[in-house]
Amino acid sequence: MARKLRVWVDQQLCVGNAMCEAIASHTFRLNEKRQSEAVDPEGDIEENILEAAENCPVSAIFVEDAETGERLFP
Amino acid sequence: MAAPVPNDMFTPDVIADPYSYYGRLREHDPVHWNEKYELWAVTRFDDLVWLTRNHELFSSAVFKNDPRPAYPAIDESDLGLYEYVKNYQADQFIQHDRPEHLEMRRVMHSYFTPRQMEAWRPFVKDAVKELLDAAEEKGEMDIMRDLATPLPVMVIAQMMGVPASERGHVRELAEKLLYIGRGEYDRMKPLTEGMRGMIDYVSPLVDERLTNPGDDFISVLASGEKKGVFTRHEVLVNTSLLLLAGHETTINLICNGALAFLQHPDQWALLKTDPGGLAKSATEECLRYDSPVKSIQRIATQDVEMRGKVLRKADRVRWFISSANRDPDAFPNPTAFDITRHPNQHVAFGSGTHHCLGATLARVEGQEVIKALAERFPNLHAKSEDLEYQPSITFRSLKSLPVNLH
Repeated sequence: MARKLRVWVDQQLCVGNAMCEAIASHTFRLNEKRQSEAVDPEGDIEENILEAAENCPVSAIFVEDAETGERLFP
Repeated sequence: MAAPVPNDMFTPDVIADPYSYYGRLREHDPVHWNEKYELWAVTRFDDLVWLTRNHELFSSAVFKNDPRPAYPAIDESDLGLYEYVKNYQADQFIQHDRPEHLEMRRVMHSYFTPRQMEAWRPFVKDAVKELLDAAEEKGEMDIMRDLATPLPVMVIAQMMGVPASERGHVRELAEKLLYIGRGEYDRMKPLTEGMRGMIDYVSPLVDERLTNPGDDFISVLASGEKKGVFTRHEVLVNTSLLLLAGHETTINLICNGALAFLQHPDQWALLKTDPGGLAKSATEECLRYDSPVKSIQRIATQDVEMRGKVLRKADRVRWFISSANRDPDAFPNPTAFDITRHPNQHVAFGSGTHHCLGATLARVEGQEVIKALAERFPNLHAKSEDLEYQPSITFRSLKSLPVNLH
């Protein structure tokens, strides 16, 4: 079983580069302000979610293990 | 009714002080039709963010989609060279829209992640030290010539995997490529020399990296050719783009940033109390206060209404970073240079899908320079009060910045 993740995007930092949406399209979606929101932390496999976080040009994506609270990114 | 705004953006007073002119536009006519250059000037922060985030409405394929002549005007006998420049520029990934832009950017994106760029910090630090050691012996330097111009080339040449013995050649080519942002009547000759020189220099390197890939940037682009995302011409042009984009912009961050400190002794004194701790927020404020890139152009893909004006399909639309970053609706006390400003969500790197690919690298270079200057040369002061800027609408670029170190 894949572990559950807590994923969020800091709206103060997000510049709407949308690379996260391209890499993990079920987890991240642009809102009406064209900023990314994590709409479903189980939308994509963990590897893709972490790749999306890694590729955010302004490091606006945060990922934690939902049960242990362990920070997985950054 | 406000007095009509003069329409020449290249007059010496607007080049010397873009803030008054674009500030007037921002206040009185934020979506302004410039008759002389046939373009819309968009100057408010909110509008700029909206425009850059709605990339479907504003094409970045400017060279492909803009049928109008070069501006400012060029020598008529250089029109053939201008065609060459247009075809060259059109192959840059930044001159594409989705879906091609995304596909091309993805080839390069993983090379430029914040973590990957952070790994270059020790190299940047050493390069800054090498340049400042050389300056220290003389007791003086021209920040433009001796620090801001060579530093980014040292970094990019290393990223390209260029041997040290060939850096001088790359630097000469890089300096010719800088003519893209200038206004000289005869700028096409040096510019095309730089472009052709880049193609001649980089092409054999691509062949070599296709056979023996390494962890350098040319290998990354060559992998895009292998995957069928890039043509050979696109690989060559985008290598050249990296050299240019990482060069002109960083030059201006360093020079304009240093100048801001020279002109604000209180902020210089504050920085010196904790150079390591303040370098990060100081770099952000330098990026906001006197932004390296003044403006960028798009082409409307359809009729778009903005603030009661109708921008027609195929119209030129220019958005002004220098004005948006001083918009009082976005930044309290916007004309103050305040290195502790927080929050500081400036748009010096643009926004949206075309947000600067090299933003983290620029930040690392800016931070290391600011920190090193404050630590090593606490008495740094300007040699002259006369400042001259390149006649460019795109870049906020000083011609030189001579300083005494002690």
